Amino acid sequence: MIGRLARIAGAYFRSALQEEFAYRGDLFGNVIRSVLNLGTAIGGVVVIFTHTETLGGWTLGQTLSLLGIFVFVNGFVAMFMSPSLNRVVEEVREGTFDYVLMKPVPALFLASARRFAVWHVSDIVLGAIVLGVALAGLDVRASGWGVLLFVALLACGVAIVYAIWLALTTLVFWFVRVANVTMIFNLFFQTGRYPIEVYPFWLRQLLTFVFPVAFVTTVPAQAVTGRDPSWLVWVAPVIAVVTLLAATRFWHFGLSRYTSASS
Amino acid sequence: MIRSRTLAGFSSLLRAELADLFQYRIEMFLYGLWQVVNPIIYLVIWSTVVGGGDIAGYTRDDFILYYLVFMAVSHLTLAIEVYTMAPSIQSGRLSPHLLRPLHPFWRAGALNIAYKAVNLMFLIPIWVGLALILRPAVDPDWLGIALFVPSMVMAALISFLIGSCFAMFAFWTTRSMSFWDIWMSLTLLLGGQVAPVAVLPGFLQQAAVVLPMRYTVGFPIEVALGRVQGAELVGGLAIQAGWTVAAAAAFVLLWRSGVKRYGAVGA
Repeated sequence: MIGRLARIAGAYFRSALQEEFAYRGDLFGNVIRSVLNLGTAIGGVVVIFTHTETLGGWTLGQTLSLLGIFVFVNGFVAMFMSPSLNRVVEEVREGTFDYVLMKPVPALFLASARRFAVWHVSDIVLGAIVLGVALAGLDVRASGWGVLLFVALLACGVAIVYAIWLALTTLVFWFVRVANVTMIFNLFFQTGRYPIEVYPFWLRQLLTFVFPVAFVTTVPAQAVTGRDPSWLVWVAPVIAVVTLLAATRFWHFGLSRYTSASS
Repeated sequence: MIRSRTLAGFSSLLRAELADLFQYRIEMFLYGLWQVVNPIIYLVIWSTVVGGGDIAGYTRDDFILYYLVFMAVSHLTLAIEVYTMAPSIQSGRLSPHLLRPLHPFWRAGALNIAYKAVNLMFLIPIWVGLALILRPAVDPDWLGIALFVPSMVMAALISFLIGSCFAMFAFWTTRSMSFWDIWMSLTLLLGGQVAPVAVLPGFLQQAAVVLPMRYTVGFPIEVALGRVQGAELVGGLAIQAGWTVAAAAAFVLLWRSGVKRYGAVGA
């Protein structure tokens, strides 16, 4: 079963890749976009640090590492998650979601791994580069254990993002004209550009427990930059599992309410 | 005669768009929250960084006031044409609008104004609420407040025209959104969102004064708060007027060549 799903996802990915190479001019434009977006983001952080030594206790290098993680995750989400899930919203609105349900694979799989926006690979690569360069400047000694912890925390962060996104998408079964999920998600995700410690108490709680952006950028960045990892490090896997389970249950519940478009 | 017909057409388009968007007010509100959340991030950051002192003349209260005004100005000068016009160019839904006796961008303008108007019913309470919670000290500069209105109108115009230009890139490429992303991230840095232009380091500040981004959002705020005075104020308004004309010229040029290309593709 898993092997078959992997093959199907692989076929979708290859077709996305072929489509991408049909528009090579756009690809070039996208690389420029990634570089300039990153440049202005770094510029913003540097502007802030021309007036201060630390931001919420984070140094320039640490904050740039966090920015690298933000750009990386943002690119990852834009490449692997949002295209498929956004398609679901369109299909439910148009009624073509019926065809997804008729296919002999789980609807959740098709809803999550059908479309890929390959060009966002430039964001992923650039995010990783920024993280690498910032870390080199920080002179943190990476132990095997530390790297493992970082990768695990990053995976938790991505899982949480997926869960939030899936839950937001599922709303389409009730509100057919659900707003552009990408817009809503990015709206709150923007707060992840800066360490959570910057925000006032109530906002910090909100970004940890209600819309858990803290686990996506701040917590992995704490682990990798050698800052004292907060207790949130140990909560991250729990939150990831709980949100994933809750989101998939919500999806199945929403799916049972689907009544197609024209009826 | 022709003018009054255009105006009558525009006002009925505006009423139609208002009625339409009002149906989707919750969705519109979620979009509108962008212009609340982003300024709050930088309001929080700068009021932490500045502490009890000041940065380039901005105290903690000044930063708070700046970003509160920023919320209103960035909403009122927002360009949404890349989300409204570009898709209709790409899908061919523009065609029927080309047959109407009114330039399609009148409709885009009506949609732009309707979007802002519908959102005001949510945003004004939020702005007032935040102002009451944060209570920044205000020392009104009456000349600035008077000149804020024309500066704001020019900012909204530049923004609309440039936004439309980026939307019209859809005549040539399928990814006009990428170019818009670039423009937006430059506006973030140079337009006064990441920091008020006076707080930017020297070379960025010089770039911001010349480039159009500041004149789509940051400049009207600086005018309203009395941050630009005398020669700087007059010069800034002149540059803003210059960019309004330049944006209008770019708009006309792009429309003329774009619409030819649209026909040629046969979409």
